[in-house]
Amino acid sequence: MSQHHRSRVVRTGLVAAAAAGALILAGCSGAGDDNAASTGFTLSYAVTNSAVVAPYKALAEAYMKENPDVKITLNEVPNDSYGQTLTTQLNAGNASDAFQTAPGVGQTYSTVTLAKAGLLEPLADSATKVIPSGSESQFEVEGDTFGVALGLTFVGSVLNATTAKSAGFTYPTDWDGLISSCKDVAAKGKSLFVLAGSMPPNTGLMAMSISATRVYADDPTWNEERAVDKTTFASSQGWKNTLEDIVDMNKAGCFQKGVQGAGFDSITSNMLQGSSLAAFVPSGSASDLKQNAKDQEFQIQAIPPAAGGKAFGIAGADYALSISKKSKNKAAAQKFADWVATADGQKVFADAAGSLPVGQDLSDTPFAPVADIVDKGDFVPLPNASWPNAAVYDALGSGVQGLLTGQKTVDQVLADMDKAWG
Amino acid sequence: MSATMYSETEVVIVPKRRRREQRQGTRPRRAGVLSFGHWWWALPGIVLVIGIHYVATAVGGAYAFTDWTGIGAFHWIGLDNFVAIFQDPTKIGALGNTLFLAIASVLLTNVIGLGLALGLNRLIKTRYALRVLFFMPVVLSPLAVSYIWKFIFDFNGPINAILNSLGLQSWVRPWLADPSFAIWAVLVVIVWQQTGFAMVIYMAGLAAVPPEIEEAAAIDGAGLWQRFWHVVLPAIRPAVAIATTLGIVNGLRIFDQIMALTNGGPAGATETLATQVYKQAFSLGNFGYGAALALLLALIILIFAVIQQRLTASRPEEA
Repeated sequence: MSQHHRSRVVRTGLVAAAAAGALILAGCSGAGDDNAASTGFTLSYAVTNSAVVAPYKALAEAYMKENPDVKITLNEVPNDSYGQTLTTQLNAGNASDAFQTAPGVGQTYSTVTLAKAGLLEPLADSATKVIPSGSESQFEVEGDTFGVALGLTFVGSVLNATTAKSAGFTYPTDWDGLISSCKDVAAKGKSLFVLAGSMPPNTGLMAMSISATRVYADDPTWNEERAVDKTTFASSQGWKNTLEDIVDMNKAGCFQKGVQGAGFDSITSNMLQGSSLAAFVPSGSASDLKQNAKDQEFQIQAIPPAAGGKAFGIAGADYALSISKKSKNKAAAQKFADWVATADGQKVFADAAGSLPVGQDLSDTPFAPVADIVDKGDFVPLPNASWPNAAVYDALGSGVQGLLTGQKTVDQVLADMDKAWG
Repeated sequence: MSATMYSETEVVIVPKRRRREQRQGTRPRRAGVLSFGHWWWALPGIVLVIGIHYVATAVGGAYAFTDWTGIGAFHWIGLDNFVAIFQDPTKIGALGNTLFLAIASVLLTNVIGLGLALGLNRLIKTRYALRVLFFMPVVLSPLAVSYIWKFIFDFNGPINAILNSLGLQSWVRPWLADPSFAIWAVLVVIVWQQTGFAMVIYMAGLAAVPPEIEEAAAIDGAGLWQRFWHVVLPAIRPAVAIATTLGIVNGLRIFDQIMALTNGGPAGATETLATQVYKQAFSLGNFGYGAALALLLALIILIFAVIQQRLTASRPEEA
């Protein structure tokens, strides 16, 4: 083969490859345009445990059952990387049409944060109607609603009632009783609480649970005051008491041995094996635990108040459903959002997530111990959903770990939280 | 007749015209089949490398001078991110941990790796099997290895079980959550996994050292240590340069093992610049700040790599 002939062959090949590439690209873009009138759409959400049905999946399946012509493509993303994945896709313009967001501003995928960045589509009035009272600022920006509230969660502790009963244990109603119970349970070789001490999200959740009675019971608007610098964490006696109580709990043996290095796996194993009686997890986890141990009963418990304090809790929508501003299937996604906001949609999610069934009699449910608090409305939404960035909650979570290991003092942790607030 | 002047290969690879020109020895020659190709054929690859690697890196570096949160708009804030880094004790601690892990791991892996290479270089009959055993950790996934070690260091793991069985209850502790021991536990895992790599590099270096030189030194009365220090070590200087440079670069960017073992805890005791980059940029949404940390880490790696090369470079007369 001559040099000249070889060059011609190469040139012909290059032209053919370029033409084929152009055709393929044109084909891809054409397929996207065709979807504009489709009744189908894509849905992204975080998954934590493959053994448990994700509530968003339950929503999608129920909706497709009611609407056989609708095809929802599910994109499950591991919980650890969900925020990073979603924000990357939103920036790139290739996020799913609808997706899970977190109410408020505390996370990288928070509803208000994404809405202010112009990445979310405003939703219909149906979404506005289901926002829990007092939580409007976690879903609305300048009068528009950007997330359908889902799953009213009570943040306290989840008690393995079956193990507690067999151990002859009754959940205490005051703080002194809790500390003495810790010592009694520890003497029997168990622990009252299991804590993922190496995981800031879990240590932070415990601190928030305790802060309900120490901070927010007396001053439900504490977050608003902090936002305008009328108070600080370091100057708050309530927050100081919260962290000092955690130090006292550690000294009293409330947690399992080796708590400082424990991960989330310890919560599941200790709760199901009966070596610990309760865990600081959202109320929805009771449903997850029940799915793994059908012969055991789990109850939602509030953290007892300090002497002279009143019973108080933290409850609010822990999840939201939002629609991408750049969605090519907005109409289909909006119809889905409308259905999710109906009583049927809310019930499907509540059942799958083990959320608080609003407006129902709680006496025969796992929420019975906190029914009084819920009925009286003695609760505030999740505090960190109103904190300005994720670093504040991280400072709280890692700070509590520092309290458990003795690396930090209460004052240092509170100062770190103020610094993270900015 | 003149064609018989060329070898069989030359007949095939040198163009006829070139042969003719060679005979005439006057006109400029054209490249033959051996120099097949043109520099611009590499253009697509060069453009891709520049576009995907260097431009993307430069753009990422530019975010170090912004307050971008990962979404929405951003503002140029000059050196504020770098000022914030050096004013934050936790970031200084992360920098200290980064340097500690890099220097300690490169020292330990190279000393142990060189010792293993010397021991398994000759004589021992089972050296081939032992080489495989010592090199095995290198090929395993750092994440998988770290999770196994996490179990070993766990409060309910085998180390504490052995200590309990020996009656040493006071030594029992959550190793990875102990502020004094956590960083050492991470170091143990890194050294365990990286030593085999250093060993292989030194074995390659030792293979090039002629036994006759060592024998000559021995005949001249040199002891074991003298033979190693004055004969073997100078001969494997290039291997030392490669092993230490790669070791220091890998040590400075340690990430997987820390994320799997301690996630930077307890309370930041094992944070490094690499884990902070990930945490700030992706977990906490401080992309600009994370980019500044990444730029700082890249600069430190560059400085250490240059110093390392200078220290271990062969002298001109040895080249």
